[in-house]
Amino acid sequence: MKSAADLKKGEKGTIMLIDETHPSARRILEVGFTPGQEIELITKSLFSDPIAFAVRGTLIAIRKNEAECIKLL
Amino acid sequence: MTTEFTEKIPFITLLGPPNSGKTTLFNYLSGKNYKTVNYPGATVEYSIARILKKYNFEANLLDSPGIISLIPESLDEKVSIEAIYNHPRFGTPDLVIITVDASQLSRHLLLVNQLIEAKFKVLIALTMTDMLNKKGLDVSITALERLIGCNVVKIDGRVGKGVDQLLKVAEQNIQDTHVEDSHEPIVIVGKNNNSTLIELFKKIEQIERNVLIPLEGKDQVDLVSANKRLNILNETNNINLTNQLDSTSLRIDKILLHKIWGLAVFFIIMAGIFTSIFWLAAPIMNLIDDLFGYMASQAFTYLGNNWYGDFIANGIITGTGSVLVFVPQILILFLILGILEDTGYLARGAMLIDKPLSKIGLNGRSFVPMLSGFACAIPAMLAARTIPNRRERLLTIFIIPLMSCSARLPVYALLIGFLFPTNEAWLAGIILAAIYVFSTASSIIVAAILNKFKSKFFSSKDNSSFILELPSYRKPKLSVVANNAYHSAKLYFRKAGPIIIGFSIILWFLTYFPNSNPKVDTKGLNQDQIIQLQKSERLSASYAADLGKSIQPLMRPLGLDWRVGVSLISAFTAREVFVSSLALIFKVTDNTQPLQNSIIDAMRKATIDGSNQKLFTTSTIIGLIIFFVFALQCLSTIAVSKKETGSWKIPMLQLLVFTSMAYAFTFISVNGLRLLGLP
Repeated sequence: MKSAADLKKGEKGTIMLIDETHPSARRILEVGFTPGQEIELITKSLFSDPIAFAVRGTLIAIRKNEAECIKLL
Repeated sequence: MTTEFTEKIPFITLLGPPNSGKTTLFNYLSGKNYKTVNYPGATVEYSIARILKKYNFEANLLDSPGIISLIPESLDEKVSIEAIYNHPRFGTPDLVIITVDASQLSRHLLLVNQLIEAKFKVLIALTMTDMLNKKGLDVSITALERLIGCNVVKIDGRVGKGVDQLLKVAEQNIQDTHVEDSHEPIVIVGKNNNSTLIELFKKIEQIERNVLIPLEGKDQVDLVSANKRLNILNETNNINLTNQLDSTSLRIDKILLHKIWGLAVFFIIMAGIFTSIFWLAAPIMNLIDDLFGYMASQAFTYLGNNWYGDFIANGIITGTGSVLVFVPQILILFLILGILEDTGYLARGAMLIDKPLSKIGLNGRSFVPMLSGFACAIPAMLAARTIPNRRERLLTIFIIPLMSCSARLPVYALLIGFLFPTNEAWLAGIILAAIYVFSTASSIIVAAILNKFKSKFFSSKDNSSFILELPSYRKPKLSVVANNAYHSAKLYFRKAGPIIIGFSIILWFLTYFPNSNPKVDTKGLNQDQIIQLQKSERLSASYAADLGKSIQPLMRPLGLDWRVGVSLISAFTAREVFVSSLALIFKVTDNTQPLQNSIIDAMRKATIDGSNQKLFTTSTIIGLIIFFVFALQCLSTIAVSKKETGSWKIPMLQLLVFTSMAYAFTFISVNGLRLLGLP
């Protein structure tokens, strides 16, 4: 299944679900990564980690392993 | 704290998600007169203030840490959230004012919804409508009030617009509370699982769709407002508009968050901060040094050459001076960091550096505390509070004493001055830079090693995470930044001040007694030289000297003797005391040249007690430098570390680990260098 971490720079995707087994799942939801939202990968740091996404009109940086639990449609 | 906060006047808690303008509003409401207090038994701090008199509304205002949700993720969050429900000192708030970013409604209304669900009395301070207006949108206050179920007041914290109105509504809200209405809030912990969270977001999105309206008088949205009048408003259109990122910020980020350039700019900015901590602060620090030196000598002259004259001059005045001398650096550091934070850059810096730091068990947010450590470990440890994961925070606090703080600078200057004559100043500069690189590298290695054994040292199951909003770039609000820097400096003074002054007095006692009135040969000496010689005699027969002699067996393997031991003990008040203590113990009475040169001359002549062997050689000086790199010789750091980590475990471990490392590495380098044939 494609995750947010698989997006390329400038690529958009729509969230299908958040993998609830990840310990950061709740925080990821709370900052606004919820199913149905369109997100865009804005930039990656060196080593592709963390990754910054545009979500709900703001930019949020999360670690790669956290982006991996955001599954896309 | 005084009783002024315990009177029976309304108690308001100010709450808000990060980047919602909470701090700015707090500054507007409280001015400079807030107090920062620890929660009993916890490392979480809160600020408390009276609302400014000019607003004509008497209430206590509590500023709580920025939170995203009422459901805690970490131990510290749990403490701050529990205190919203029932503050250990003030009880349950009569009203919660929550700041909400108008352009971030769909994210920020989550906390509002949780608060209302928990049956708090809530008032929304709607901030940053200017950002939303730029996108051609506005918020319908009446619609929002109706749909969310509480009052909403638009404010602009940057110019203070709407603050009067906010407090008027707040007063009204509190008065309207009937006795039968008031009940304890319901703790919603555990009630909200992930699927109810998703439902809540859907509900909020619905509210957002209904409250976002086109801004009046904007040409480009005329069509939309026409549609609205015809009641066929395309709802999703407004959502798409508000979900657009700020285009200026995106353009800036193309460079500042670039894989390579972003990192390059980051290091240039950090090098800039680093050098300005030193260069900007140096003249002010010298001024403070001179001023207190002058005051001490004036006091001494006025009170006379006796024990109380000496106590006032060298115990109290000099002790106070050694606290104040670091204030310029702390102020400059927090001013620059505050500006960077307010513009939105600091979060980006943390993102850029997170990966390398996470490799050694730290976090992107460890970076600022580590950088602050180059000024002083005390504000650095306080800055570590922003790290949500307890284990990462403890590890950051642990390695901060290895950052080469500014108190080591005079010591290094003296020791390097001994190694290189003045005509090779450039070489001294390179060596100093090398010491900084060496100490930073050591801190990274120590962190990496500790991280391997983390379960032994830091028993904590917190999940390591890095989720950080990168807010749109904004012009910093200087008055707020300056106010916060002032409070950081005040905090440093209050926390470290009493400890440093207290120990200065104890050390003064140890170095002054029991031989308080020594007999010296005064032939051919002027008054100043006599006093200086008396001081030296007094010190060499003092309790401190006894203490130094008792550690002589420890000093010998390092090629040093008890006199250096005494100076090392004195350096526990503050590292730079090492220099003045050496001056005393080697009887530096020459005042025809700068003190540092006189000390170096005296050091060159010194021989190990009771032999002809030179005491200070290339190898022992290098050994001493290495000792200062590692040793945790700062009582204030130990005290603050205890306070910030909540127990004696970490500070005692730091003292043990760093001091034994210092001893072992000094031993190895001194004897190794001698084996290599160095003097």
